[in-house]
Amino acid sequence: MSAPEIFQLSLGPLTGIAFSPDRSQVCVCPNSNEAQIYTRNGDSWDLTDTLAEHDKLITAIAWGPNTNRIVTCSQDRNAYVWTQTEQGWKPALVILKINRAATSVKWSPHENKFAVGSGSRIIAICHFDEENNWWTAKQIKKPLRSTVLSLDWHPNNYLLAAGTADGKTYVYSGYIKGLEAKPEATIWGDRLPTGQLLAEFRSPNGGWIHDVSFSPSGDALAFVAHDSSLSIIYASGPNEPPAAHIVVKLPALPFTNLTWTSESSIVAAGHDCQPILFTGSQSGWAISHSLDDPSSTSKPLTPSATGLRSGGGVGRLGNNEAFNMFKAADSKGQRGLAPSGATPSSAGLTPVGPDGLLLTVHQNTITHVEAYEWNQSGEVSKIFTAGRDGRLVLWPVTGGKGLAGRMAGLQV
Amino acid sequence: MSEYAFRKINIDALEEDVLLPSDLYDPDPRGPDGVLGDAQRKAGEVRNLVSRGDIPGALNAILSEPPYGDGVDEAKDLTTTSLLLILNSTRASEIPTILKSLGQEQQDHLMAYIYKGMAAIGQGSDVSGSVLLNWHAQLTEVAGVGCIVRVMTDRRTL
Repeated sequence: MSAPEIFQLSLGPLTGIAFSPDRSQVCVCPNSNEAQIYTRNGDSWDLTDTLAEHDKLITAIAWGPNTNRIVTCSQDRNAYVWTQTEQGWKPALVILKINRAATSVKWSPHENKFAVGSGSRIIAICHFDEENNWWTAKQIKKPLRSTVLSLDWHPNNYLLAAGTADGKTYVYSGYIKGLEAKPEATIWGDRLPTGQLLAEFRSPNGGWIHDVSFSPSGDALAFVAHDSSLSIIYASGPNEPPAAHIVVKLPALPFTNLTWTSESSIVAAGHDCQPILFTGSQSGWAISHSLDDPSSTSKPLTPSATGLRSGGGVGRLGNNEAFNMFKAADSKGQRGLAPSGATPSSAGLTPVGPDGLLLTVHQNTITHVEAYEWNQSGEVSKIFTAGRDGRLVLWPVTGGKGLAGRMAGLQV
Repeated sequence: MSEYAFRKINIDALEEDVLLPSDLYDPDPRGPDGVLGDAQRKAGEVRNLVSRGDIPGALNAILSEPPYGDGVDEAKDLTTTSLLLILNSTRASEIPTILKSLGQEQQDHLMAYIYKGMAAIGQGSDVSGSVLLNWHAQLTEVAGVGCIVRVMTDRRTL
């Protein structure tokens, strides 16, 4: 195991990110209406392609690992499916029929369809229409009352989970007649016409659901909400209440993203700028540790990369060394820099260094957490995170609970 | 300026499928009368416990199933008054121990009431800002900033 790999891909936020099937390329949106494809070149990334078709900010990108197609969706209410040809990436229009921004997109596991969430209280399940040579959508509207913020497909290719801004997570049937074989009964439900609502769950304090995710087996569903909570639901059978509905309330700021790394572990990250590993089972879940341990990392926090940001912008004044020095002199009468705040006084605060920079690798909210690499047993061994600081970080997922697991992750 | 007049149109009145605040949380299953009854019972209980010096017990009682939502203003006022009475009659040195004995749900509720108390300062409230700030600081230390986020997020206003 090694230290995390850190890449500064953009000076601004990354609003969408997806890796190519072989991980040699990454498609990101640097907070604009264009998606960029970078190709890995040793320790750096070279810009090789630009996908320009959208008029407004791209909100999400998904890259099908089997079919090698990219789908992008944007605030301009459109989505495009990009196919690689001899002459570069070619877009195909998707007829979404939505009147607000598209917010999230996910390929189904078999990649014969994808789902797009939107601000017009609609989930569009899109599939290819051979006749017209475009992608058309079947819409799910009920009972959505607000913007759909996140989506995730069940591994069986039929069920779809959606997290919304009204604080609810829904499980739907995403079956499309005429496109695929009739689905068999699942643990979430047995009648599965298109758009059938199978289950709904509320966040504990009514916070927006930022991200939902099915476990690798599909029998459990996890979501993170803006009330600093992580909820895990274990289904028991069609039309039955869930076998377990576990809520973990956190002392820290809310998570915006999560991914299952195995059937008994989840990595979640968000506004406190560090990916945190949770472990548990049907009987309960708890924080195991942070993958980003400031006290154990010896690496320099890439000052060159952060130096680039000196333009700063509004609200970044707190990260300025000179500013902090004068602030300390003013408020505390200190001549030098403030003492290192490695141990914050309150529970759940992100540690800040003497120079005002966060001691975590990410310097701003993490907005994407996804699996990067799997080991032989099918568990995730590496994840990637990307955030508002424009950084892409590849993290080894260090062992589970206890010292033995952690020691295995050490370099000898 | 007439071309800007459309900006003053209340579009929610024209939209059929408008999302109301009450759609965002489930109403209290006890109903307004049940909530008020519970609040009155608890207020009496709290007065007893405080006079006997059992602050943790009093806090525990008042912070379990507090009234929330619309139409229960009387119960809310009663509960807030009882809670501020408890906060006022606690010695500063005891606060950390008391806070640690509370459950997570109760800590969240307490934070909500502290903010409510702060909002009422200067409007005839008899609780002082320094008391509330002290409770707030100690509670944040124990329950973390997540507790504050939950209070800000929660639509079930206390």
